Amino acid sequence: MDFIFPLFTTGMFDNSVNLFMGLLIGVMFGFILERAGFATSAHIAPIFYFRNVMVAKVMVSAIVTTSTLIMLGVLFGYIDYSKLFFPNTYLLPYLIGGAIFGIGMVMSGWCPGTAVAGVATGKIDALIFILGAMAGMYFYFGIYDSIADFVNSTNLGKFTIAQALGFEKDNVKVSYLVTLIASFGLLFFMLIMHKVAKNKGDE
Amino acid sequence: MKDNNYLNPYVAGVILGIALFVTFLIAGQGMGASGAIARSTAQIAYNIDPEIAKNAYAGKYLHSGNALINWTVIEVLGIFIGGLISALLAGRFKLELTRANGYPVIKRVAFAFLGGFILAAATRITRGCTSGQALDGASAFSVGSWIFMLAAFGAGFFVAFLFKKQWKGVE
Repeated sequence: MDFIFPLFTTGMFDNSVNLFMGLLIGVMFGFILERAGFATSAHIAPIFYFRNVMVAKVMVSAIVTTSTLIMLGVLFGYIDYSKLFFPNTYLLPYLIGGAIFGIGMVMSGWCPGTAVAGVATGKIDALIFILGAMAGMYFYFGIYDSIADFVNSTNLGKFTIAQALGFEKDNVKVSYLVTLIASFGLLFFMLIMHKVAKNKGDE
Repeated sequence: MKDNNYLNPYVAGVILGIALFVTFLIAGQGMGASGAIARSTAQIAYNIDPEIAKNAYAGKYLHSGNALINWTVIEVLGIFIGGLISALLAGRFKLELTRANGYPVIKRVAFAFLGGFILAAATRITRGCTSGQALDGASAFSVGSWIFMLAAFGAGFFVAFLFKKQWKGVE
């Protein structure tokens, strides 16, 4: 056995243990999301007006933390990078789907994970959002056949940042460096826009 | 209205990041959310009319038995429980419909529903949402996750002026 982690995909434990761990992991996520202030649309929607950039601060710190640990785990040989799950890159579907997602987010003030935590804390708009989301899923099942060609187009596979820059797919050093630059760039942009929005509001 | 009992956002981010890393170590995948809503919808539709199992998309959730016996579904059940525990401990559990002062309830309800509707369908096109794509994918160096994030934020920012009244003074 060369790699220890991930425990489940390297066969360290079976499916029922993995499901139970999933419940514990979910409880941990729900708790953290609520503590971070993600369980209200009042903290999510204002990001599109740069009034409250707290959500961006949390997201960027989380991405930087996780990617640092993944990079170190892979470099020291504890993690089998090829066994980490992340979705394939479908270029055009992600551009179009991502844009629809963003419009839905500013319209509703929620995304799926935060809405589940929101329902748990009594937010009525979160409950309505989830009902709308279920209707939307059902609608998608119905139209899937007619849009399947588009949805499965421009598939680049598990496409990593290093690969996009012409390096080996599993060159986590290059991927990590670019992730750091992109993350801090995004945070810097948000903080500046927040300052601009605040000054406008003071006038 | 500011509630100062929340964690410092950078501290919260680091804790969330460590939790996400532990999840990767254990399960080999990160946090998910939209997949659980899709599976629940498929299972409810199946209980009403089993014909849905023939559907090209919903069918893949149903062919190995109950669509709800799945890691992401169980994990999302945990998110609900964890959110509830945290809110109760912090005294933040409260029934409310978040919107700008005086904004019509019917419009807020309509936008919450319609926003959820289009966003959910979009997550099937993008194979994930803010959890599975933005957080997990970006942390594991996926290019698609950044495309998703920038497209979502860019479009949201572009149309934000349409919903300005709904969120006026909300922060």
